[in-house]
Amino acid sequence: MFKNEELEINLGPQHPSTHGVLRVKLRLDGETVRHCYPVIGYLHRGVEKICENKTFFQGQVWTDRMDYVAAVSNNLGWAEAIEKLMGISVPRRAKYIRTLLTELNRISSHLLWLGTHAMDIGAMTVFLYAFREREEILDVFESFCGARLTTTAFRIGGLRDDVPPGFEAKVQAFLDRFLPCIDEYEDLLTENRIWKKRTIGVAPISAEECLAMGVTGPVLRAAGVPYDIRKAFPYAAYDEMQFEVPTRMEADTYARYLVRLEEMRQSHRIVQQCLDGMPEGAVMAKLPKILKSEVAEVYHPIEAPKGELGYYLVGEKGGLNPYRFHVRGPSFVNLQALPKMTEGKLLADVIAAIGTLDVVLGEVDR
Amino acid sequence: MQMTLTQTLVMALIQIVAVLAFIFVVVPMLTFAERKVIGYVQVRLGATRIAGGRKGLTGAVNKIMWWMGHFPVISFFRGLPTFMADGIKLVTKEDIMPAKADKFVFWLAPILCMVPAFAVFAAITFYPGVLGVFPTWVPIVGGLPVDGYITDINVGLLYILGLASVGVYGIVLGAWASNSKYPLLGGLRSAAQVISYEVPLTLSLLAPVILTGSLNFKTMSVELATGMSPWAILPLFIGFFAYITCGFAETNRVPFDLAEAESELVSGFHTEYTGMKFGWFFLSEYTNMIVVSALASAFFLGGHYFLPFGFQQFVPASWGWFAQPHLIFFLLKVFFLLFVFLWVRATLPRYRYDQLMSVGWKYFIPLTLVNLFIAGLVRFMA
Repeated sequence: MFKNEELEINLGPQHPSTHGVLRVKLRLDGETVRHCYPVIGYLHRGVEKICENKTFFQGQVWTDRMDYVAAVSNNLGWAEAIEKLMGISVPRRAKYIRTLLTELNRISSHLLWLGTHAMDIGAMTVFLYAFREREEILDVFESFCGARLTTTAFRIGGLRDDVPPGFEAKVQAFLDRFLPCIDEYEDLLTENRIWKKRTIGVAPISAEECLAMGVTGPVLRAAGVPYDIRKAFPYAAYDEMQFEVPTRMEADTYARYLVRLEEMRQSHRIVQQCLDGMPEGAVMAKLPKILKSEVAEVYHPIEAPKGELGYYLVGEKGGLNPYRFHVRGPSFVNLQALPKMTEGKLLADVIAAIGTLDVVLGEVDR
Repeated sequence: MQMTLTQTLVMALIQIVAVLAFIFVVVPMLTFAERKVIGYVQVRLGATRIAGGRKGLTGAVNKIMWWMGHFPVISFFRGLPTFMADGIKLVTKEDIMPAKADKFVFWLAPILCMVPAFAVFAAITFYPGVLGVFPTWVPIVGGLPVDGYITDINVGLLYILGLASVGVYGIVLGAWASNSKYPLLGGLRSAAQVISYEVPLTLSLLAPVILTGSLNFKTMSVELATGMSPWAILPLFIGFFAYITCGFAETNRVPFDLAEAESELVSGFHTEYTGMKFGWFFLSEYTNMIVVSALASAFFLGGHYFLPFGFQQFVPASWGWFAQPHLIFFLLKVFFLLFVFLWVRATLPRYRYDQLMSVGWKYFIPLTLVNLFIAGLVRFMA
């Protein structure tokens, strides 16, 4: 008479809170998740293979379209990986501008995460507040390179152009009003009892499990491991910057929320330092007309907003394009943690876990 | 003067039409207010135009609204035609039914949801007395007084609570009849939620019942506003917050909107509903909000009188207009509480299913029981 049957349900690929085209196969016992299996590939375009058939200059356009909310840091990784491959040294001013834009991009990516994550948990107002500030950052990108989302901001060897007139004032204006905005988000969420109930102890994952699965970024730092590539293997101008790596020990959704908010504050600090200490000089290294690679192999990791973004490149003798290109996308690796975070928990926690992992499907599927 | 049967029926009909008109005006205005209030909380404009092209009727309306945007106060009301557009859209949309749905129940569910939501208005007292007298030239009812309520039954509150709890059957049956997984989850959540919140909701309303010793809506609202001892303010105060919170849960509004949790269950129990069938669910949710607001303002916020929580007894008769009951006080309180519904929606995240249950059983039931005890003490002392 009483038959205990598990309900199999497809969360996605068209679902309001799977942030793109993630499909999660769930087996539910009532509201409890018994089994969770993320199905990916709905946005696969073969970016890696395409880049192997494009010249080094052309490939950057494709990196924009991987993690499309953090295009600038994708560009940075690509440009630096090729500079490493070719042994090009970049002028110091270009490094500073790159660092500045990348940190602004980190803020904008975290703002998008904050807005959508809060919206998934039901707090819809934070979304619009966060987008209000993100808009200003996109305006800064637009003034720098004409594009707002898929920026293709940098060139191999430096920058195409120096910053436009009025750029510093625009960034400074944003910086001046951004810190109180973070406090505003905190007013809405940090001490909100429902927010705390929905996030504290939800979707936990220990540091050991993170390391075993290669989970990086704020998720790892919220588990107490202060691993940040900006400190561990400094690139761009990060070795000249003063900033801290925020960590928490709780390893839950709330800890990740606090870590990301603090990261935004630290990014604000870095951008301010870049702006204050901006050196003069050229923004482009002397390069040959046509870039040809040697036989070489590089792996260049950078700290993208979501975690370790690594570019692996193999060059052949006189090659105009990479012989082999591989991306270690943080979203893809972090998504592995989803079943571990959610099995045995409730359906609503799956939504919170997807939000807190901050996956961008363009990068997961590539 | 004794009314004849015809006169009674016609009078009741007039009142029913008036109340229905009230609902059908307030509910669309509420959707407009929702856009505007939430828009203002979220630093955006809310509705400013309606869908449609540059030509035809919609084009003309949009042009007028664009023009309205030039003036400071008028620009706020730019989106006003949206509620009419919404209504037209709901009525004219294609009605789609899933192939494997249980046809009869699928059709029955919105009705089950809507009818009780409207029927409870029969026992709600908008004004405890005579609103006005028809002029003598009116046929049939000429010269007769119009009461501020449709009926004045002795078990008014029982009637309201009984009917209101029927509404959940509409949600559960609609969810089940859709024969789809997300609605099913939404319906089950809703069933559990409504059952566990019905208890504290009723318990919180029992405090006023004990204080007044009556179930009659009119008697209760008048007594609670004016005839209480000063000690009664405490149980009314606690009861108000318990009631309004449970009311949020009963009407499936944020932060308790689990049955239609958009980010989890797409749109919960009404995922498969389209057109006017969805419209009835929608309408009944907003009507229930009015009911909850009306009950809260009648029993806890001093109803038709000026001050809430029984503070009205300290108002001397010399205040004149403010010492008397007025329809406007009642309506203002209802509208304020409706505003609170929207305000909360823009502010709070959503509870999780198990947390909702634990909040209901662990906090609200004990709290309302204690409140009931306090109310009993106050009654005993008086």
